[in-house]
Amino acid sequence: MSDARVGVFVCHCGTNIGGVVDVSAVAQYAKTLPNVVWAETNLYTCSEGGLASIREKIEEHKLNRVVVAACTPRTHEPLFKNTCEEAGLNRYLFEFVNIREHCSWIHMQEKEDATQKAKDLVAMGISKVQYLDPQQEYEGDVFGSSMVVGGGIAGMTSALSLANQGYEVHLVERENELGGLLKGVHKLFPTNADAHKVITPIIDKVKAHKNIKLHMPALINDVKGFIGDFDITIDENGADSEVKVGTIIVATGAQELKPVGYHHYGELENVVTQLELEGRLKKDEKWLHHIKGIAIINCVGCRNAERSYCSRFCCMTAVKNAWILKEANPKSRVIVLHHDLMAYGVEFEEYYRKAMEAGVLFLRYDFANPPEVIGKDKVEHVKIHDELTDSHLDVACDLVVLTTPLVSARDNEPVSKMLKVPLGDGMFFLEAHVKLRPVEFATDGVYIAGSARWPVDIAESISQGYAAAAKAAIPMSSGKIKVEAITSYVNIEQCVACGTCMLACPFSAITVMDSDGRVHAQVNEAMCKGCGTCVATCPSGAIQQKGCTDQQILSMINTLAEVGGIE
Amino acid sequence: MSNNGFQPKLLAFCCNWCSYAGADLAGVSRLQMPHNLRVIRVMCSGRVSPEWVIKALSSGMDGVMVLGCHIGDCHYIDGNHRTKKRFAILAKLLGTMGINPNRLYLDWVSASEGVKFQDVVIKFVDRIKELGPTPIGAYQGVKVDR
Amino acid sequence: MIDKVRQLVVDLLDSGRADAVLALANVHANVQPYLYKKGDSLDSLALWPKYSMGPILKSIQAAQPDMKLAVVARGCDDRALVELAKRGQIDLNNVQIIGLACTADEATECECANPYPANIDVGNKVDGVASTDLLAELKGKSYDDRLIFWKQAFDKCIKCYGCRNACPLCICEECILEDDSWVKAGEIPPPFPIFHLIRAYHLSDKCVECGECQNSCPMDIPLTSLYALIRNEFNELFDYIPGAEIDRKSPLVTSLEEDPIREETA
Repeated sequence: MSDARVGVFVCHCGTNIGGVVDVSAVAQYAKTLPNVVWAETNLYTCSEGGLASIREKIEEHKLNRVVVAACTPRTHEPLFKNTCEEAGLNRYLFEFVNIREHCSWIHMQEKEDATQKAKDLVAMGISKVQYLDPQQEYEGDVFGSSMVVGGGIAGMTSALSLANQGYEVHLVERENELGGLLKGVHKLFPTNADAHKVITPIIDKVKAHKNIKLHMPALINDVKGFIGDFDITIDENGADSEVKVGTIIVATGAQELKPVGYHHYGELENVVTQLELEGRLKKDEKWLHHIKGIAIINCVGCRNAERSYCSRFCCMTAVKNAWILKEANPKSRVIVLHHDLMAYGVEFEEYYRKAMEAGVLFLRYDFANPPEVIGKDKVEHVKIHDELTDSHLDVACDLVVLTTPLVSARDNEPVSKMLKVPLGDGMFFLEAHVKLRPVEFATDGVYIAGSARWPVDIAESISQGYAAAAKAAIPMSSGKIKVEAITSYVNIEQCVACGTCMLACPFSAITVMDSDGRVHAQVNEAMCKGCGTCVATCPSGAIQQKGCTDQQILSMINTLAEVGGIE
Repeated sequence: MSNNGFQPKLLAFCCNWCSYAGADLAGVSRLQMPHNLRVIRVMCSGRVSPEWVIKALSSGMDGVMVLGCHIGDCHYIDGNHRTKKRFAILAKLLGTMGINPNRLYLDWVSASEGVKFQDVVIKFVDRIKELGPTPIGAYQGVKVDR
Repeated sequence: MIDKVRQLVVDLLDSGRADAVLALANVHANVQPYLYKKGDSLDSLALWPKYSMGPILKSIQAAQPDMKLAVVARGCDDRALVELAKRGQIDLNNVQIIGLACTADEATECECANPYPANIDVGNKVDGVASTDLLAELKGKSYDDRLIFWKQAFDKCIKCYGCRNACPLCICEECILEDDSWVKAGEIPPPFPIFHLIRAYHLSDKCVECGECQNSCPMDIPLTSLYALIRNEFNELFDYIPGAEIDRKSPLVTSLEEDPIREETA
């Protein structure tokens, strides 16, 4: 591009870059490259002084392209793009070159080579920036209604939160009643409140709320569209209905593992899971008076080769039920056999201590030497290897409770395919970022709460339900969404409508359509996530990605081929 | 061996979400590695056109790496599935044409695998040093030491 | 054999099951594609030398989208029609295929491994050419020797684009091999290996083994052998033969679940 006026800003980052790379030499070198009209060094380009200098130089030298050579674009790119915008330059006419993480920090003892590498990288960035085009971000309308999938505690929390904010909510539940796993729970740690006293008012509120349309029992049959404008087909009692929503919250929950093959579960009477125990306790506690010895075995069917994860809250479930059993029948002996006992935080530690004070015994077992449940027809005793004394204990038992993990809900796969959101380990849903975006998917407009993502307890489910609702409300309250201009686009004259891009798109964002007699591929910008998979599959280069065109990347490759950097 | 002192010119394509972040982590962790590699960032390894790699290898690069998210962890669901297939066939085509397919390296590096990034870079540089300079000059013909 | 084809063509036209039949005709000692209609004399009908029917059918359909067509198709034509239909270039719903199996001599001349269509109407299935001396020789070569072989072969290239123009699956209207940012204009021979490798990659999931690239090459570059090797590699990886199955997508666009890589599953 002959009319490009490139400004280059090379950052010392204190000594982080400047201590290794000869930053001045890099800036001097940049000045020698075609169309570079300004190059300077900054102690910290990201400081207010550095940013002000970018703004000034854009004006003073009529820069129409800016290159910053500093740290990683993954953190500071938005800052510099905003700075360009403030100076009147389209934010997409900016290129970031990483000479810190990818250079000075990994070649600390090779100052000359690192300097040469920084020069090469800057040259590549200067080549690319000249091929960048100004971009407008796509703006779309957002429908002010939401679908929540799953009527457990997380889903109901989300639904109520959104409904109270005035949004219409379609709550889809596959079972015949609301409540999810919590329906089967007896009491809640750490308060020992009755679960039904907690959940019943919530269920009543959901049922009575004028903004919540309950679909039950119902399944999602089809999802079309994208953030702001999803078309959903719901199969309710065998009849299909269509709803239109702007956002979707996935709260499909999880299920308790039935530990077939472990500790004679299903073979011996009185070997039950925690949830089965709670079912019995919910009915009455009288039967407990006949029980003399109880062993609770933790980590059954998890933290092993097949299922490596920890289900997080089940240690507390075990503590809770051990305590309840002990209190109901103080004469009984209650032993919790655990590997590591997770009682994190002040309240849980306190709760654990109280259970011990009440007389619950806690004994550690080793995964290599797990407890053995022994009996004929019924449980008779449990053989335990005690680590401290390195001896075997035989404990008479008439009830064994197996603490099993939550495993993913059986519908996760079809739901993930319909919503085009990924599943991770154990077929649980995978959020966009474990720390930075924990209740969102990478797919815009789709959010996640509760144990669908990973086993969580009630309090966490509720927090996540609120969080997902808050996230979903952002695009709905503004009524508009902006899509970063990294989407694909089709050069219609070049496209022969072979449909290869359409097939390769992981998000079904491409269709082949006829406009004015010319059949060609068309990208739906709101659905395109900007991966560029379609572009790499097009033989004629008719489809390209904003900010990552073949020309832009080829200019970098050609530059690297030409600079004799590595000797 | 005769390749002592040979410093290969290597290019890597890294996806924004995993391998580029893994490379960043290697940097943050000050993991030292050879200086031969230049990284180009793309959003997804699925964007890496095999034609780019052909162009790079035809322009005098001694080797090219394509690094993406692990299968199953792709930020774009399964963009990297296509990457895996494209580069499987490209490696075969390179071999058919007489370019050692070991000059192309495809692997998965997650955002938390800074150590793996360092490791694959060190091994790839060693591998290319072993193979020697590319027999293909920048448009200038084939140089094969006999 | 030719009489049986004539009979099938007459039947289709007379019965009205086809408005026209695309076949080859010998016109003034020049064998060329010809669109036979009802009442036309079929004396001129010819079968050999073969000609790529796919692109011709595509142009006819573009002009006459509603015409009920039949086409005399050999194995390679049949596969090309399938690949073109998969890529939306032709519509096979309105097309009847008269499948013609090649003779052993014809198969040998084309070095064709699959000299018959999916459904044979005329002729008998003969074994294809499994390998040639050149293929065996190339497979046995080291990388360096292969590179020298292909470098020498492609040094003859005059960049006439004949291989591309003759290819029934080169369907792009604008070819990146004519784009200066990929391949510099004005250089003969074209830069090696980018020019030929990009073409090879683009055809790796499409090549239907018609041999038209080599037929059209004025410099006798052994492209048939190159593409035979590529098809083998592709089939070994993905268990996929272009043109064999109309309902199967190219493995290069699908996920690993839909279509795994064979080396791994084995």
